[in-house]
Amino acid sequence: MTTVVERPVSPARPPRPRTRPSTYIAIVVVVAITVWAGAGISFDLSPLWTDWGRGWFIIQEFLAPNWSFIGRTISPFLDTLAIAVIATAVGCAIGLGMAMLASRVTMSNAFVYRAAKIFLSIVRSLPDVGYGLLFVALVGVGTLAGVLALIMFNIGIIAKLTSETIDAIDRGPLEAAAASGARPAQTAQFAVVPQILPNYLSYSLYVFELNIRASVVLGIVGAGGIGSTLSVEFARFNYSNVSAIIVLLFIVVFSIDLLSQWLRRRLM
Amino acid sequence: MSVEPRRSAPPRPSAPSRLRYTLTQLGVLAIILICIVVIDARWDRLLDLPALSITYGQLMIGGVVQNPFVEPNLTYWGDALRLMVESLQIAWVGTVIGAVLSFPIAFIAASTVAPRWAVFLTRQILNILRAIPELVLAIAIMLPIFGLGPLAGALAIGVGSVGTLGKLTAEAIESVPRGPGEALTAAGASTLQKLRWAVVPQILPEVIAFWLYRFEINIRASAILGVLGAGGIGSLLAQVFERRDWDRIGITLVVIIVVTIIVDQISAAVRHRVISGAPALSAKALV
Repeated sequence: MTTVVERPVSPARPPRPRTRPSTYIAIVVVVAITVWAGAGISFDLSPLWTDWGRGWFIIQEFLAPNWSFIGRTISPFLDTLAIAVIATAVGCAIGLGMAMLASRVTMSNAFVYRAAKIFLSIVRSLPDVGYGLLFVALVGVGTLAGVLALIMFNIGIIAKLTSETIDAIDRGPLEAAAASGARPAQTAQFAVVPQILPNYLSYSLYVFELNIRASVVLGIVGAGGIGSTLSVEFARFNYSNVSAIIVLLFIVVFSIDLLSQWLRRRLM
Repeated sequence: MSVEPRRSAPPRPSAPSRLRYTLTQLGVLAIILICIVVIDARWDRLLDLPALSITYGQLMIGGVVQNPFVEPNLTYWGDALRLMVESLQIAWVGTVIGAVLSFPIAFIAASTVAPRWAVFLTRQILNILRAIPELVLAIAIMLPIFGLGPLAGALAIGVGSVGTLGKLTAEAIESVPRGPGEALTAAGASTLQKLRWAVVPQILPEVIAFWLYRFEINIRASAILGVLGAGGIGSLLAQVFERRDWDRIGITLVVIIVVTIIVDQISAAVRHRVISGAPALSAKALV
């Protein structure tokens, strides 16, 4: 007689979690919006093979950049850099003030806080070219319009990022300042600014990077800098000059990105 | 007789040197001043700005407060809204293209998943895509092939989004906790199965949030592209500004601002919901 060895029973498999109906609804909604939007702009990839020749001609021109043109782009490039520096400095300074008004931590007055928040949403909702067109219409074609447009654009970004950072700071120093009887301005200077400074400077560098790119776009609506040169050459169908500018733009944007990343790493 | 020496307070620590800090500040200030002087900005025109803004501001507000239900205002509000919706469609399609293309690319750009040479190569491509502004992409490549119209705009935005979305998604993949992956390895899963069941579920909420965030950015980008003739509200904006038609400029700006804010709010609410999950029953109202 043999003893029957009891086979170990494998534990029951856990039930597979069910996909929630809200997930299906979300997928259906996203697909529906995509179909609607695609139909709205008559989405169709067939030009990629039917009209490729037209594009290929221009791309060939692009592949032969006219290097001798670069000499004439140096001055507009310096303009672009200067526009970006001034706009970053002014925009970030105003942005810091707005950020203080738009954070619960530094602004106890609910009315001012709300007003600042609404003002910032309005400032942010207009794209940079919107400001470009507006200031070109107000102060005329030129670099001044570019500077003003970028300042507005920068206030929106800096104030949003910084006010979110202020919301997350350690309250301890604030309480210490309050306990020793600091006025709001003193609290801001000694308890808030030291805590947010690395982040704030890092955002400012990020905004500077954005400004170089944005000033290309702004130049096209007449706000000076390299963008103006780009749009003139483009309008004259000088694609080989355009591509020389784009290559140079690449190098400038790339080196500024590297510089700013290096600075940001040192800050954080 | 010995005199008890007076206990003096321990010497105060000397203040840390602020020399470098001050020098940096002076340097930055000098750069800014040089820029202000060098640039040919005709700063004197700033003096006219306040008066001009008031005059034209009044004209713009005048356009907005006109009875919108009387022709030709009704047609104009309708046109502006229709084009703004077209801008939203461009932004949405562009974001979908960007999301669909960037998702698989991100896995090749994540150092925890792909071999080193592939990561390096993909990262460089993503960097290049991020350095080109959408606008250059649109005028240089999309407009010649696809012609003037919203389609070229959507494609330019889509390709432009791949750069940032790919980078952010790759970083999300790299920072995923290893636990679930190790569990799957122990259970004998293949690489693809590990990605599907250990990585994707962990990054998905974050990545969806990136997509929505990019959508918000793309709304502004699509409005810009219109200025070049790539469809949407930008074409109208360029038109009315060219004619200095201030009351219509006012109406167009109001449409852009209001629609953008509404869509941003919806998107931010969805983003919040995706990241922090369903609200608990006792959750407080949105602050």
